[in-house]
Amino acid sequence: MSSNLHQAGVTLLKQLGRHAELVMDVYLSGSVSEGGDNAAAIEKLRKADILWRPEPEQELRLKRSVRALLEEALSDERNRQIDANVGSSLATIKTLADHYKEARHAVDYSASEAYLSDLSEHVYSFAEGLRYSIRVLWSRINNEFGYVGTINAKIRENELAQSQVTELLNGLEMFQFSELGEIAGDIRELRKLLVTTLQETLSDCTQELSVVQGRLLELLGRFRQIQGRTRLLKGWLLYTDQHPDYRVADHVGHKQLPRLFNRADALLAPAAVDVNNSGYETELLGLVAQIKAITRVGRDSEVREHDVAFSLVQAEDFDIPDNPLKLAVEEYFCAVIDSGLRQSALEYHQDKQLNWDEESWLYQVICGYEGLPEEHRRYFELEPIGEPDPVYTGNFIIRDVELWLA
Amino acid sequence: MSSTTQTVLVGQGALIESLLRGEFICRTSNEEAWRALKSPVTRDNVEQYLNQINRTIASAGEGEVFFCGYQQLGDDERKVISSQFKDICNALIPLVEWLVLVQEASGQDAPLSEGAAVRVSELQMRIEDTPAFREQLGKISHYRLFGSTSTQVDAQIKLVFKRLVELGYLLRPNAEKQIYIATGKLDYLYEVIRFIDETEGLSLEAQAETATQRDLI
Repeated sequence: MSSNLHQAGVTLLKQLGRHAELVMDVYLSGSVSEGGDNAAAIEKLRKADILWRPEPEQELRLKRSVRALLEEALSDERNRQIDANVGSSLATIKTLADHYKEARHAVDYSASEAYLSDLSEHVYSFAEGLRYSIRVLWSRINNEFGYVGTINAKIRENELAQSQVTELLNGLEMFQFSELGEIAGDIRELRKLLVTTLQETLSDCTQELSVVQGRLLELLGRFRQIQGRTRLLKGWLLYTDQHPDYRVADHVGHKQLPRLFNRADALLAPAAVDVNNSGYETELLGLVAQIKAITRVGRDSEVREHDVAFSLVQAEDFDIPDNPLKLAVEEYFCAVIDSGLRQSALEYHQDKQLNWDEESWLYQVICGYEGLPEEHRRYFELEPIGEPDPVYTGNFIIRDVELWLA
Repeated sequence: MSSTTQTVLVGQGALIESLLRGEFICRTSNEEAWRALKSPVTRDNVEQYLNQINRTIASAGEGEVFFCGYQQLGDDERKVISSQFKDICNALIPLVEWLVLVQEASGQDAPLSEGAAVRVSELQMRIEDTPAFREQLGKISHYRLFGSTSTQVDAQIKLVFKRLVELGYLLRPNAEKQIYIATGKLDYLYEVIRFIDETEGLSLEAQAETATQRDLI
């Protein structure tokens, strides 16, 4: 029997898994019509009692139990179903406890064991169900009934949630622990299940439910305030429309001034500097001198208020005087060409008694060589003379350069 | 230790200044000052300071909005209050019409209240697409409170929002973005309307209710 059940359960779950896409589609859209491409799959699901037809000529829907499983597993906020039927759970628990006691009395161990495990299952699932209901309520509170659009709908949803809370609380009141204690008698297992476990759950849940109730009332108050403001505005417009000569009464003329209208005049006007008063010139200059511009963000490019006209004209001729150092380097190059000999740059520098710093001279020579057009540079050879740095490898210290014709 | 007292004093100075400038202090407009006024100690300090110059801290909107009032009322103070009252009464109709327009054009349940954001570009698009809203905006922007003379939706809406920032009903946190945030002064406005409603027995809410029910039928 139990292996049969196991088999059947596995088949059912596999079927759910195989048609997961379809099941989710139906879950999200609510119903499915048989005519589509996956008619065979739909038929299979219908046979497995996963889909059903609520009324003839209606489309197929997901079974409540499958929906509930998905809603619970996905914490879908649209789920507002709450099982407030505490009475029947209580009755089941009591009945099972009686069965257990009878079996125990008859010393039928296998039966009493079965009843006990059944009873534990019921007690635990009752506790779980209760906690789940509270979780559902919280999730609705936390997003402030965001799944409905208008304030009126929110107020209605809030009222629904409140009635559910009241029902749950009423149901919980049906638990009489003295009665449960009597049923449990002095049987340890029963006491643990019926008294300890249930009592803990119930006191937790009752506490939490009262918090939920408080929050719901608070939300309702806020919704009503929003609604009240909208109505207030609309009412004002209506009233002033209907009574065009309406003037607000003089509420500030009475001896007792309403606190609301007691507003002091601005004592501090925004300050501004009179830049036209020459008497302040020294102070103003002092202030201006202290101004520091600290810009942490890039400055906006300034846009001129008016377009300034300008016309394209021939650019005036201008020339940049050549750098004398550069000219001297050119002369050095010419000297090398004229003599056709290998010539050290520093020696040339000393010969001509040039008054530039030696280092800048060497730099300029190297630059002059590098700066030549490719075809001219091919006529020259430049060799740096120097030694590698004694400490840092890869660095070469140039003491002099030599230039000759290639 | 001394540095903390220093910052407290500086903060209080700024807080007193903004109260004396006639500003409304709420969580949105000036959270630091709002927190300071929520704490009884600083509030007492500020109150003591203000009392010396015949001022007191007043609050509205269930204690979420603070402003500065007179401690003792003489003739001069009454004159100021009465002119301010006239100003706010004259502003009521344009402001209420604007609030309803924003609420309806953006399709929201709740009218603007402190902390709510308005995206002007979206609002403008919706108003431009609907002739009734366009007409309404034109009417609102031509009230003396806003004083527009333009016939363009764009210019009208920009002016209205600019004026509302000047009047302290809105904030524009980022000058480069067209997003405005409502301040606690709007909540003050609701309280003023509610006060008028209750003292004059206009029963505005009930009227609106019956009107909507008539619409539904």
